[in-house]
Amino acid sequence: MSDILKIEPIDNWLKKNNWAIYDHQIETLKLSENGYDVLLVAPTGGGKTLAGFLPSLNDLINNKPKKNNLHTLYISPLKALTIDVHRNLTNPIEDQGLDIRVETRTGDTSAYKKNRQKVLPPDMLMTTPESLALLLSNKESKNYFKNLKYLVIDEIHTLVNTKRGDLLSLNLSRINSISPNCKRIGLSATVKNKNDVLKFLTSKKKAKTLNVEEISVPKIDILETNNRVPWSGHMASYAIKDMYQKIRKSSLTIVFVNTRAQAELVFNKLWQENDNNLRIAIHHGSLEKEIRRKVESLMSLGKIDCVVATSSLDLGIDWGDVDLVVQIGSPKGISRFLQRIGRSNHRFDEPSKALLVPSNRFEYLECLSAINSIKNKFLDEIKEKKGSLDVLAQHILGVACSEPFQVDQLYEQVINAWPYRNLTKIKFFEVLEFVKNGGYSLKHYEQYSKIGVNKDKFYAIKNKSVRNRYRLNVGTIVESYMLKVKLGNRTLGQVEEWFIEGLNEGDTFLFSGRVLEYQSISNNNVIVKSTSNTQPKIPSYAGGRLPLSTELSIEVRKLLSKKQFWKNFPNQINEWLRLQSKFSNLPSLNGLLVETFPRLMRGKKRFFLICYTFEGRNANQTLGFLMSKKMQRIGCKPISFVATDYALAIWSINEVTDVNIILNNDLMLDDLYEWLEETPLLKKNFRDAAIISGLIERSIPGQKKTGKQVLFNSDLIFNVLKKHEPKHLLLEVAREDSYRGLIDLDRLSEFFKRIEKNITHQNLDRISPLAVPLILEINKQTIDKSEMEEYLLEELENEMLSEVGLI
Amino acid sequence: MKTIIFNKHKFQISKEGILFWFDKQIAIISDLHLEKGSSFGHSGQFLPPYDSEMTLRKLLKGIKNQNIKKVILLGDTFHDENAFNRMSEKAFFLFNSLIKNYEVIFILGNHENKLKINHINLLNEYVIDDIHFIHQALQKSIFQISGHFHPVATIKSSIKKITAKCLLHTNNHIILPSFGTYTGGLNINDPALKPFVNHKSYVYMLTKKSIYKFTSREVET
Repeated sequence: MSDILKIEPIDNWLKKNNWAIYDHQIETLKLSENGYDVLLVAPTGGGKTLAGFLPSLNDLINNKPKKNNLHTLYISPLKALTIDVHRNLTNPIEDQGLDIRVETRTGDTSAYKKNRQKVLPPDMLMTTPESLALLLSNKESKNYFKNLKYLVIDEIHTLVNTKRGDLLSLNLSRINSISPNCKRIGLSATVKNKNDVLKFLTSKKKAKTLNVEEISVPKIDILETNNRVPWSGHMASYAIKDMYQKIRKSSLTIVFVNTRAQAELVFNKLWQENDNNLRIAIHHGSLEKEIRRKVESLMSLGKIDCVVATSSLDLGIDWGDVDLVVQIGSPKGISRFLQRIGRSNHRFDEPSKALLVPSNRFEYLECLSAINSIKNKFLDEIKEKKGSLDVLAQHILGVACSEPFQVDQLYEQVINAWPYRNLTKIKFFEVLEFVKNGGYSLKHYEQYSKIGVNKDKFYAIKNKSVRNRYRLNVGTIVESYMLKVKLGNRTLGQVEEWFIEGLNEGDTFLFSGRVLEYQSISNNNVIVKSTSNTQPKIPSYAGGRLPLSTELSIEVRKLLSKKQFWKNFPNQINEWLRLQSKFSNLPSLNGLLVETFPRLMRGKKRFFLICYTFEGRNANQTLGFLMSKKMQRIGCKPISFVATDYALAIWSINEVTDVNIILNNDLMLDDLYEWLEETPLLKKNFRDAAIISGLIERSIPGQKKTGKQVLFNSDLIFNVLKKHEPKHLLLEVAREDSYRGLIDLDRLSEFFKRIEKNITHQNLDRISPLAVPLILEINKQTIDKSEMEEYLLEELENEMLSEVGLI
Repeated sequence: MKTIIFNKHKFQISKEGILFWFDKQIAIISDLHLEKGSSFGHSGQFLPPYDSEMTLRKLLKGIKNQNIKKVILLGDTFHDENAFNRMSEKAFFLFNSLIKNYEVIFILGNHENKLKINHINLLNEYVIDDIHFIHQALQKSIFQISGHFHPVATIKSSIKKITAKCLLHTNNHIILPSFGTYTGGLNINDPALKPFVNHKSYVYMLTKKSIYKFTSREVET
């Protein structure tokens, strides 16, 4: 092998460690040397990272290019991954005493280090899409990137068809115009549509995909337990004891959960169970970076027995000795699950070992379906999306910040980015106008244009402050306003403002693995103290949960509809389903089961309607919105609904007597446009677009509301725009994102076709076994906020009036 | 509309936030903050510049056919000293139709210290029948109708918290909600509003559809 490799130090290093080089690593090197851009698609643990860096290492070691030039740029979607890859590359470099400088640059990098990197570029820089955008907005960026030889993009499949990917793609196109000979290597997990990923990586003709097949089939089990599997919830508390025993028998376990709230709770419960004094740690995105770094380094040193983690540890990080991966709750997608499983036995040729812990009864079925899908080598598909215009607006300003540009040249550059390949020049100009001065038909702001045109028709920013403001607003991830959690002088991490607003002094919550008592807010800090209280409120965070994929849904419906499959189910699941079939009915493979029943809710009689669609959260949510709209119109006064991946539950003040009226396809899709305009979803997407495009500014902790920076309520702007410029660019973006967020509209149409004349209505006098999880589901969605508020206020006022004897 | 008896006079509040004194053919409105949107333009934030137009249209529509002769604007009618000059043609037209068709009393607000507009007088105070119309409430026992604070209130229902603009009525004070399209709010339990809230306070919460009256104890503090 060594003659093929030709990189002596790397060869020595591999030999020293008794490691062999894989064929695909050599192949990547060869292709790259022959001038190809390479997409390497391989399962986790396939030595992808080394493959990605071999061409660059080869050039640095054998060709000895000029120093103090940025030679290789590595981009990863996760900060943690940049640090891990940095560590993994530093090992052979230090071991072999190579003169190669590798550094990271992320949002966590100190200003001092960032400045030094500008003056004295490292040979290899590891960064994220956002930090890259910032780097490119510097005045000297052209100079900085002009000698770039290699570009490595890790976990590229997670970026394709996302707004983050749009931003990266635009910047890649820009790098291409600065250093056209730079070679690209993309590293991807196994996905269905590899071709799209390759197109995203490069527009060059000389490009190839290397596909590495999985050798070993992972070994996945569902946790066996004698405890009761709960009806609902996502915390899997019932399984802690059994899980703990498994963790105890393994040397290093990662327990993956889907949300940060889950992470906190599971961590807390594991410690309550921890009689053997195992070293258990927690890792999630809201924790202070020092805390995260410490956990990461303890893991790699083998000084930890178990880590409870969210997707913050999902991707590519090499922990070597993990021998068990536990997944709590359904992983919701196959690729993601495979990636998580891949954390264990991080070796290509050994099977990964994983344990699935369903957190409720529906999830048991889902976990079983996931295992079946992996056996059948089923893969997720990345849904296509065209480049977002709000991201383009941000990008145009970024380009203007770095240097004056000509419109035609910039347009060429933009359409060279795969997501924007079909962007018309007219649309491009519309975005440009928006960036300049808001793009309103009323020419109000011309005097204030952010970008001006000089006599040679070059566009440039008007002044330095435009650049400074741009830098504060870079990125496509819009989060809620965050507050720092302070325990004494220590910062533990950040929580969303709305969560704290719901707390009263003395309330307790779980954070950073401790129970904390809330005291006060001062200067954007949440002041907390430690407490011995063991019954805390749990911080629940927005987002993080993915909808169930179509394929998994079908799999679940199959399992449910055929009693012969149930034999292998645990007794309690079996009983649950049998009871359901006796009391009501079972959802069929192709029809729809609807149940209605009355039930007291907070002391008031409500009428519940449940549809067991199994069409995934998004489709169910859409259906929920549409059905409530219809119910409102016929006077049922719907209050709210919950949508899960499996079903939809709506409750109302008045009873629905004929479900066929409400479940009518034509009528509902007619409502769609009108309905979308009124949804909170559209407002939320508008807010995101307004922030990404720079119309309103990000709220930055510790910098709240100065005279210059306005935290403007985007709902107010939304209402004004809707009235005066209903076709405004940002409304267009918000609408598109909403439809995309509810892509399952297609799925919903299919659903209506499927269930036509195939609806089973069960009118019950009380809740059915299958409905219990739904009623317990706390994740409530409001229908039309203002409508709902009217009803509640009316009720509340009447209540109080009758209390004081007025009616 | 809901009726408020204030210093033995009968007032009516509309869900849009206009206080009517029908016996005197007067409409009272506060904090229009005209051209708030465009005030951020110079720093490169280009908010939709249609807020003045919307605010004025809502105002004119609200007082039309109510047999009103006089309009009292309780200050901060303009968001800043240059606001008047930034108004769009449409907004300007609407503003003109307001001052042509009604006798408009302009109270001086804290945003308007340097504001100068020909033929428009900004008064510190205006008094009718012992009721003082001022911009910011004073801790004095005279009867005052004021604005300035943009009060909002939050009420906890069985399911969730609901926040809405509100009119605050305490003994000798009526504090009006802000009327401007781009105006935000200050919760009535904010320290700044504390002197004007006590156990005898009433809060009229305004929503798209109606007005809801609560005592200050029912409102979250």
